[in-house]
Order: sequence, then C-alpha cells, then structure tokens
Amino acid sequence: MDKFLYLISEGLKNVWRHKMTTFTAVFSLFLALYFVGLLATAGENTKSILQYLRSKYKIEVFFKQNMDLKSAKKVSDSILEVKGVRSSTVINKEDAVRIFKDQFGEDIIGVLGYNPLPISAVVNLKRNSEEMLKVAPVVSQIKKMKGVQEVRYQGHLINKIERTYARFMQLFPGVAILFISVAVLVIYNTVKLSIFSRKELIDSLKLIGATKLFIQMPFIFEGLIDGILATLISIPLIIGTVSGANYMIDNFTSWNIELTVAPMLFIWLTLLSGIISVLGSYRAVSGIMK
Amino acid sequence: MIDFQNVSYTHLKGRGVTNLSFSIDDGEFVFLIGPTGSGKTTLMRLIYFDLLCDSGKVNVGNFNSDRIKKNQIPLARRDIGMVFQDYHLLNDRNVFHNVALPLHVIGCDASEISYRVEDALELVGFEGKRSHYPHELSGGEKQRVTLARAIVKEPKLILADEPTGNLDPVAAFELVQLLETINNEGTTILMASHNYNLIKGRGRRIIELKDGLMRGS
Repeated sequence: MDKFLYLISEGLKNVWRHKMTTFTAVFSLFLALYFVGLLATAGENTKSILQYLRSKYKIEVFFKQNMDLKSAKKVSDSILEVKGVRSSTVINKEDAVRIFKDQFGEDIIGVLGYNPLPISAVVNLKRNSEEMLKVAPVVSQIKKMKGVQEVRYQGHLINKIERTYARFMQLFPGVAILFISVAVLVIYNTVKLSIFSRKELIDSLKLIGATKLFIQMPFIFEGLIDGILATLISIPLIIGTVSGANYMIDNFTSWNIELTVAPMLFIWLTLLSGIISVLGSYRAVSGIMK
Repeated sequence: MIDFQNVSYTHLKGRGVTNLSFSIDDGEFVFLIGPTGSGKTTLMRLIYFDLLCDSGKVNVGNFNSDRIKKNQIPLARRDIGMVFQDYHLLNDRNVFHNVALPLHVIGCDASEISYRVEDALELVGFEGKRSHYPHELSGGEKQRVTLARAIVKEPKLILADEPTGNLDPVAAFELVQLLETINNEGTTILMASHNYNLIKGRGRRIIELKDGLMRGS
C-alpha cells in the first residue's frame, strides 16, 4: 500500500517538479482537445441548424379560381399524404386579402373592386429527416392534383441548402477522423517527448532494481493528470466559444438558433485525453526500457 | 558472490570481453584495473545483467546469466549497489529522496525509510544538506550521496565503476577508505579504476584487464 501511494504521489510531484514539461504537455493536449471539441459541437449543431432552415421551407399551392373552400380542404388533406409533407394549411380568399394587405400595404378589393386572390395552401415539409430532402417530387405530385393552378417554392435555395448539408455530412466523418487522428498523435507524441526528456530518471530507476510497473506507474499517473488538466481547461473554453457564437447569432443575424454543447462531449474528451495519455506514457516508458 | 566462467561478450561495434574466468568471494574487496576501453564497464554491466554474455556463464548470488528471466533482472539488481563516475543522481529531487529511492523500490515503509536514509548518510559522512539538490553539491559530496544510495538497501555487493574519476585526489582517497569501511561490514566490493596509484599498497586483490582479456588476478 505504501508503495502504491508512493507511486501515485510521485506522479503528482512530477507534475510540479517538471513544470515546464507539464505546461507544454497540457497546452498541446488542450489545443488538440479544444479543436476536437469544437468540431464535435459543430457536427452536433449542424443538425439543429438544418432543422431550423427546413422549418422555413414553404411551398405555396394556389388553387383554381372556381374552387370552393371545401374542395380546397380535400386537396389539402391529399397533400398531407404526400411523403415528406409535415403540414398543409388552407388559406381562404378573405385571409389571402388580409395577408396581401400585411405584405404590400394595399387593400386589393379597394383597388380592383373585387377579390382576385384564389384559395391557397401553405405546405411545410418534414424537417427531421437525416437524408437530403427532395422537394421536386413533392411539388410534382402536388401539381398533378385536381384543382391545383400553380405551385410556388424556393426550389433553388432549398436545393442549395440540402446539397450543402449532404456534402457536409459526407465529409464530416472524414474530417472528424482526421481531427481525432491528429489530436491522438499530438497527445501521444507530447506525452512521449515529456517522458524521453526524463530518460535519465528511468535509467537510474532501472539500475537500482525498479520493476517495469514501478517505473511506469508515476508516468502513467502523470499523463492522466496532464490529460485531466487539459480537459478542464478546454471545457470552459469550448463553452465560451459556443456562447460567443450564440451572442453573434443573436445580435448580428435574424436566425432564431441557439447552439448547444452536449454534456457527453466532456466525458468523451476526458476519456480521449486520459486513454491516449495513459497509453502514450505506457508505450514511451516501455520503449525506453527495452 | 561472483563467478565468471569463460565469459565473452562483443558489442555491436566490436570490443567487449573475451573468455573471462574468475571468482569473487563473499566479503571480498577487489579492484578491477585497466586502461580506458579495456572492458571494465562491460564486465560490470555483465554483473548487473545489463548485458547478457554471448558465451560462458555469469553467476551473481543466486542469479545465473543462463537462466535469468527479464523480469528477474530488477530482483537481481536489488542485491547490488552501484556507484558510477557520473553519479546518476536525480537532479529533480533532494539528497534525502535520492538516497531513499532504492528503499521505495523494495517497498520499505515510510518510518523505516527515514532512519535507514539517516544511517546511510551518517555512514558515508554526509551530515546536513539532506534537503539540498545534487546541483548544489560538490563532486565529492555527490559521490558520497551516490554511495549512501548504494548502501542504503544493505546490498550484498557494491559495484563501483570509476567512482573516483571526477574527484580530486583527497576526495578520491576518502571514497576508497569509505568503501573499505563498508567492506569491513561484510559487503563484497568490486571497484573499477584506471588510477593504479590510488589502489596500490592496499593489500587487495586486483583483476587486470587489457583489450577485453584478463591479464592477471
């Protein structure tokens, strides 16, 4: 027990004894974890941003002038059955006049003497789909329905958003793997370098009959402390960066989006830095002891 | 204590030792002499199993170069105290903790460590300065601390590889006297040196090496 406590205390003391090495190791670890954390946060929030944008997608369906409200509602119910449609709201002629006045400031009946606006429906699309949302087939099906005069939608914009999202989701795993690989290499090599700088200590311990475990334990514990310190520094900075981004969105855009940081991320970052630091320490000491 | 039987070892870049056979009994004090490159350090490394011989057999205490396993080497070294020309002290800890290190390795408890370190430091004549760091000590003081670290675990054997190499003549003389005192307690000592003047007239056995071959014993 004394021996075990000694080895743990040696790990702690080493952090203090080698302040500069600890600083370098913790700083490199922090940078790696910070960027991995931001990338993970970006990935996590991309979905909610897309859902927000999709909630703004709108297909306007104008019915023929002679269609009555009852028939329009029937068509609207049929629209609801089209795959990918979330809601369909019928707008009667009176509501159309009011909306026209809200948007253009003119009372169209006052100007023309009659109401030329047809009954219409506003169709919203499902927004939770993981896949790329295809609007053209929905529009095409609506157009074929009886009584539909015209369908208007932001086809170009929607396609652009969906294409960008699809490309992002295609590239994200690769970028994530690249980031994590770089982070793992940075952490691993930082730990390795800090241990190689103390080769003299390892050689001396070998000469006085220390076992491999006795030599490795303080280094492993030290690596774990470095990893935890780096995680503790990176967590508030990731939260700060996301809060900064939220402030910018709130104050400089009209978007109603709030970026969030998943609490699980911090557990993953701690595990990532801890495991790699421990493995790095273990392998570096083993390498020197060969 | 030590038994070499037709031991040969060649380094990758050549040189080493060839066909060495000799024995050192328990409690003996033996000097190992020879010019630089004669194989003194190789012989020492063979004793603490840092090198395993290419042919022949090395017996040290209960350990044998033929049968020793990698995980037994630390155990073999626990019976050996080592003193080097370049001290091998750890610069990041003070005198007390340097000397205490071998006791932590063998698993002594804290109270025992404290008095055994004090005893070892007293035996080598190192009083005070126990909280000093190696860089604050003179060469002679460092070598005394190294010697205290070697004897603190009460080893059966002390290997001293050119321990006086960095010391002035007075400090070197005092160190050999200290080793003799420790030997009088029953510890076997093998001291390598190329300074013949330091060891002559002491009435100890001398093993002489030249070009890796034994010239006399």
